[in-house]
Amino acid sequence: MEERKLTERESLEVITSMIARTKQRYIGDGRILLMWGYLTVVLSALIWVLIGFTHNPVWNWLWFLLWIIGGTLTPIMDKKMQREKGVKNYSDTVTSRIWSTVGFSAIAATAICLVFLLVGGKDAWSMMFAIALIVVPFAEIASGIVVKENSLIIGGAIGLGAGLFTLACIAGHVVLYTSWFMPMFIIAFIAMMIVPGHILNHKARKEA
Amino acid sequence: MKELNPLLHSQLRLAVISILMNVEEADFVYLKEKTESTAGNLSVQLDKLSNAGYISVGKGMSGKRPRTICSITPDGRKAFEEYVEALKTYLNI
Repeated sequence: MEERKLTERESLEVITSMIARTKQRYIGDGRILLMWGYLTVVLSALIWVLIGFTHNPVWNWLWFLLWIIGGTLTPIMDKKMQREKGVKNYSDTVTSRIWSTVGFSAIAATAICLVFLLVGGKDAWSMMFAIALIVVPFAEIASGIVVKENSLIIGGAIGLGAGLFTLACIAGHVVLYTSWFMPMFIIAFIAMMIVPGHILNHKARKEA
Repeated sequence: MKELNPLLHSQLRLAVISILMNVEEADFVYLKEKTESTAGNLSVQLDKLSNAGYISVGKGMSGKRPRTICSITPDGRKAFEEYVEALKTYLNI
């Protein structure tokens, strides 16, 4: 493109052409989703096995690794992906803010659980599972609606189903035994993050 | 008839402003690719738009390489909208 004066009609063509070039749908790839998905699944399986063998709930402290590793890697990966893409549009900002809200609510929930733990309310930790299976799916469904990606909406809906079931169990004083709850938690995260993450990566490769 | 803003009534500057109207921010490489312009020419036109207060240009680092990020300002948005309105009168739209 050169630097030159235009006729009015050419001006209109430049405007419509540039709008068309920036209008392509940016779903983004699934790298961050996959990182959180695999991290959660591996850590959940590890904690499940360790608690199963030792019957010691102290292994639950390993959940903090999720926030430490995920919380450190997410901004690094996000910055790298933004650099690669070269552009940030409105849907990027919206989805980024949705996930930031999830992060802050998780920090707040962790703080509340720790306070409960200090005053002897050990069962407060089950709230973290409900948070993970309700707030995260909601954010995923919202992101899916923003970027018009069905795999995120379906994955989020499966997670939300598991979350509502968990909430009903907590409200109905049903004990969340690791023998059935952990497999359900792992399956929910596979459906919520790993499957959509691979679908997004596949679509991103095809668009490249 | 309203006069068309001379700063926007040029191919590359109009292309840059049109892109920035549609995104929150875009880096230099993206703008160069979408406008199919040369780095030198794009750089000169970005300076002109920036000096007019139509775009803001931020400099950052991408690894070891410098990265220029551009976004439209409220003045730039207003100027573009006025330009389109004026254009409509010329084209009888």
